[in-house]
Amino acid sequence: MSNSHIFLKSGFIRTPSQNGVGRYVCQLQRVVLKFCKNNGSSRGMREFVESELINFAKNNPGVVVYLKPRRHRAPVISAEFLNGDKQWVSCHNYSKQDISKWLNLLRTQSGNTTGFRLRKLQHTDHPSIQGPWTPYTFKDPAENLAEYPNTELSKPKIQLKTATDELLEIFNSVQISDKKGVE
Amino acid sequence: MSALKRVQQWATFARIWHVYDAAWQNPFHSAKLLKKYLMGLHKPIYHPLNDCGDHVIVINTGDIALPEDEWKKRAYFHHTGYPGGASWTVAWELHDKDPTMILKKAVYSSMDGNLQRRYTMERLHLFPDGKVPADLMKNVSNQIQQIRPVPKRLDHYSEQERKEFPKLIDYPKDYILR
Repeated sequence: MSNSHIFLKSGFIRTPSQNGVGRYVCQLQRVVLKFCKNNGSSRGMREFVESELINFAKNNPGVVVYLKPRRHRAPVISAEFLNGDKQWVSCHNYSKQDISKWLNLLRTQSGNTTGFRLRKLQHTDHPSIQGPWTPYTFKDPAENLAEYPNTELSKPKIQLKTATDELLEIFNSVQISDKKGVE
Repeated sequence: MSALKRVQQWATFARIWHVYDAAWQNPFHSAKLLKKYLMGLHKPIYHPLNDCGDHVIVINTGDIALPEDEWKKRAYFHHTGYPGGASWTVAWELHDKDPTMILKKAVYSSMDGNLQRRYTMERLHLFPDGKVPADLMKNVSNQIQQIRPVPKRLDHYSEQERKEFPKLIDYPKDYILR
């Protein structure tokens, strides 16, 4: 079993300084496309550089694009983000379309998502409208003024009639009916 | 964390002090009730890893009521660790020695034996009568309801009430009451 995940950064999903509300700042700052000029595994990357890279750079003036040809090495995209993250994508044998899609993903991300574990798939700054529970919610305000220990509050909620109570009740009801009979 | 959220955290995890009157209560049933307050099980925020247990002051532990003949039959075992060090103390005897001990042991054994149990027990304050130090009593903001009503004895009724109680007959004046 791998333990590589235990040093992984973890946290909650967030948007850096309300990005996208009113204005949008592309969080991808720099991207380096590394490839070989001869090797077959870099073919898709070379095609991408020839046909689509100019358009990508034109459409995203905020992103610095570097090309780094290197002999007999596998093709790689290395992306650097505004928050200091760096993500590395291996593009071995990727087609032109694959690279275009990966680059688009990196452009729309706000950081390195592979180096970050989300503790929960949802997050809110305001988990409750009515406010979180405290020991004082749902409490009877009258108890604030009570003196403790309090014999009245101590009594159990369900109180059955005792035999004495019932006897007194019968006695009282008989007395009332007797009075009615007299009248 | 903003100042408001910090205060919210304190409010949610505030320790509450409860008071429970053990007079005429079964200590073993009471233990199950008190355990919930001590461990914080009565709170919606309860989780075994969050420390949200409350303090409970129990008064009148000297007046607990054991069911049936448990005063005579229930034995508390202790072993000193030395050979022949075993001893069995009957409930009434233990109650004579320390009127808080039966309830204390009942609460202790009602909880699971984990590392938290000793710390949870620290939050239980037992008093054999109604005399509680004022610095403890001023913290109390809740009374735990008793599990059974306290019976009213004849001497708890006033002279007036006793006179007005319905009678079938009046004793003759020369009748000797024994």
